[in-house]
Amino acid sequence: MSKLECRGIGKKYGKKEALQQIDLTIESGKIYGLIGRNGAGKTTLLSIMAAQNPASQGMVMLDGENIWENQKALGNICFSREISPASGKNGIGSLRIKEYLKAAAIYLPKWDAQMAGHLIEMFALNPKQRMSKISKGMLSMVTIIVAMASKAEYTFLDEPVTGLDAVMRERFYQILLDEYADTGRTFVISTHIIEEAANIFEEVILLKKGCFFIKENTQHLMERALHISGRTEQVGEAVEGLVVCQEEIMGRSKGVTVLLEEGQTVKTGFEVTVQPVSLQNLFVALCGKED
Amino acid sequence: MNEILTQEKSIYLQISEMIENDILRDIILEEEKVPSTNELAKLYAINPATAAKGVNILVDAAVLYKKRGIGMFVAKGAKEKITERRKKDFAADYIKRLVEEAGSLGITQEEIFAMIKGEYKNE
Repeated sequence: MSKLECRGIGKKYGKKEALQQIDLTIESGKIYGLIGRNGAGKTTLLSIMAAQNPASQGMVMLDGENIWENQKALGNICFSREISPASGKNGIGSLRIKEYLKAAAIYLPKWDAQMAGHLIEMFALNPKQRMSKISKGMLSMVTIIVAMASKAEYTFLDEPVTGLDAVMRERFYQILLDEYADTGRTFVISTHIIEEAANIFEEVILLKKGCFFIKENTQHLMERALHISGRTEQVGEAVEGLVVCQEEIMGRSKGVTVLLEEGQTVKTGFEVTVQPVSLQNLFVALCGKED
Repeated sequence: MNEILTQEKSIYLQISEMIENDILRDIILEEEKVPSTNELAKLYAINPATAAKGVNILVDAAVLYKKRGIGMFVAKGAKEKITERRKKDFAADYIKRLVEEAGSLGITQEEIFAMIKGEYKNE
């Protein structure tokens, strides 16, 4: 089976270490969710995995071949960048939507013009409009169209739902799942809207301050995460020996989020409330106290 | 007080249940002040009016009482009141659901009794 591997990827911007020692394998045929706080290194990682940005250390391999300046390998990878609304009157901003898509078609060998046309209709975009004149949500639609119509085996989307309304977000998830069902392409999607995307991700990749933190099957991860609350001493005894990600105390009351290791359980016989944790709550528990 | 809100039930009902749980578990004692609606609102990231609605259910049930200008306090005998009411609700909340599910699975009365007895033995 095909796979994309990051081997010891590091990236420095000046003195700042954006990524450190990332070892990560993306297996083909899965939808991955890439989550992390602002500045965690999500965009940097995606751009390095698509060879749009050179790594300071390490390399990215597609089926054992280094992808850097490797046209054959890069034909299978598409990273649809977020387009900044501030791209201005020059450059991207001066292009009409259809011109931008035409440019994308030149770089992407498997470009599906029919699909692009279909998606333009679906998103009700006017292809003659200039990129500098359309809203944030519409710019997101354009990046989604590029990603989908690229037909690249490995497709990376960087915050594709920013600025989209709830109806359009649902529509995007439908388009994504349709395409996935038809082709089994591999998608890596970064997002901050964790809750609504959680069920779509087969695996979650969590970046924390430039370091790779968790890569795990989403459902499996959710089953390991629990929230236990009650009287402080009771909670303390119930979670003894478990990995506590976060705790909050209020008076005599305490709530903790734990991540169970293989074979572990919360001890019974205590007056505590045990609740499942959503991916978003777990994310906050794991990343919330960095600053 | 540190439980997580779920989507399954109205938020204000969950707020009042959480305060009740805390009283039953001796997390908030009788004659002690409960968190203000603004504190609850901040803790759970909910609208203060929703928090107030949850608290007011308990005021109506005389579990909490208001000290003017100071806040809400747990009434004397609140624990018993909550226990009494929950006992009354027990049949509707648990037994009815149990009998319904057993019926749809074809579990007989005798089998249910045997299961319950077995569970008590395990304790």
